Amino acid sequence: MSTWIKVARYQLTDRYVFLISPWLILTLDFLINVGIVANYPGRQGQVYVGALSAIYIVLLTTGALAIARQLPFALALGVSRRSFYAGTALLALAVAAVYGLVLTLLQLIERGTGGWGLKLHFFRVPYLLAGPWYLSWLTSFVGLALALAWGMWFGIVHRRWGLVGLLSFIAVQALALTAVLLIIAGADDWHGVARFFTTLTIEGLTGLLAALTVALLGGGYATVRRLTV
Amino acid sequence: MTPAISAAGLTRRYRDQLALDQVTLDLQPGSITGLLGRNGAGKTTLMRIVAGHEFASAGTVTVLGASPAENETVLRQMIFIREDQSYPDFKVRYAVQAASLFYPNWSHELAGALIEEFNLPLNRRIRKLSRGMRSALGIVIGLAARAEVTLFDEPYAGLDPVARELFYDRLLADYAEHPRTVLLSTHLIDEAAGLFERVVVIDRGRIVLNMAADDLRGAATSISGPAIAVAEFTGGRSVWDRRRIASQESAVVAGALDETDRARAAALHLRLEPLTLQQVVVRAAGASMASPAEKNAERTSA
Repeated sequence: MSTWIKVARYQLTDRYVFLISPWLILTLDFLINVGIVANYPGRQGQVYVGALSAIYIVLLTTGALAIARQLPFALALGVSRRSFYAGTALLALAVAAVYGLVLTLLQLIERGTGGWGLKLHFFRVPYLLAGPWYLSWLTSFVGLALALAWGMWFGIVHRRWGLVGLLSFIAVQALALTAVLLIIAGADDWHGVARFFTTLTIEGLTGLLAALTVALLGGGYATVRRLTV
Repeated sequence: MTPAISAAGLTRRYRDQLALDQVTLDLQPGSITGLLGRNGAGKTTLMRIVAGHEFASAGTVTVLGASPAENETVLRQMIFIREDQSYPDFKVRYAVQAASLFYPNWSHELAGALIEEFNLPLNRRIRKLSRGMRSALGIVIGLAARAEVTLFDEPYAGLDPVARELFYDRLLADYAEHPRTVLLSTHLIDEAAGLFERVVVIDRGRIVLNMAADDLRGAATSISGPAIAVAEFTGGRSVWDRRRIASQESAVVAGALDETDRARAAALHLRLEPLTLQQVVVRAAGASMASPAEKNAERTSA
């Protein structure tokens, strides 16, 4: 356990990757959106932007960098692969929880200020982040953890099998998605799919994403164990 | 005593290449061992497996009595600094700080003193360092960790002679106060010779020589003088090498020479010169290289 904490501290030695870059990018992203919305002529009603996705993309790369860049030196310092992975995953979960809370607080402010006085929906996302604060927090937490865990697995695959391995890994995921779509198309059951998604509550979706996060963490753990540097 | 590092039948195969071939080796705790050999001989592979960074195809390796692979208790007492050590993209100070997290015996004083002596710029990003400076960083971390088992794989690539001297001095000084097991691979054999208590030479994945350094220093002598005198002196001895220019000959004889030998050589007007460690190593590696060819030659002549 104490090694896990040390690994988490090691990951935070360089503050940029985990602590600075997500908020730097999100702040820029937010300011650009506010700038555009404030200066958009003939604007009426509520404005919905999907720009919050930026922080998820940043955390995906954060997860990948946390493995690909930090792992060789950690191993040189006598950290086992398992501890390195567990410590990094622990940090990822903590970061996702704290950042989810920050996003929720920002959402409350946005709600209270009528969308920053601009009717802007930046931290409020219809369906996904629209419920009570604790539900928004939970969904944000799971979503951010998913992004980090997925990125971490990408980082491990890259370390272990190089660029070719990484591209194959992405291709396999794309193929799996295509296969699912083909199966649905083959069964000609788009109605069933539509029904599934329209009846799926945000709690249910959050649960599904949480299960996926656990699966991704398990996959990363299985992959890291035979990694060589 | 449990060996600090012990390998038995250690083999590592990569597709069509045999990087390590049945390596068996025991290194006692509290010793400095030189791991010598040509490029691609298998030094780095051996050290990577000892450090648990790579897995063996066959055979076993134990460090401090247990397998190092994913073994937290063993790994906690080991550090492995490679020539091509890859660091995260951060400043020098963070690398030192990160290393200090993981080692219970980490010495801040030693790290500080070494940083000063090597003139390491703490606030520079590691990827902006010169090759020599990167090596110096590895040395600082490797020594200040005071890890029970310290592995250095060609730690001083690009370091100037002054800095290399500094490394030898500091290693010996700190080793004297805090004994540990050091395995150091290098190409600068004669320069580092004074450090080694034991020398292991590896060639094409096999151990071709494993001896106490003191025994090795007198292990072979070069004898030169008139060819007739050389022939008389070397008669009945194991000769490694013989070179002749006109009536002058020089030969390398294996085995230590005693007082009578020396007196006899003096009477025959022969010059005696002990082989340096580097010369012995070159011959050991060369002998293993030449052996298949020699065997072929014997077969054709027979």
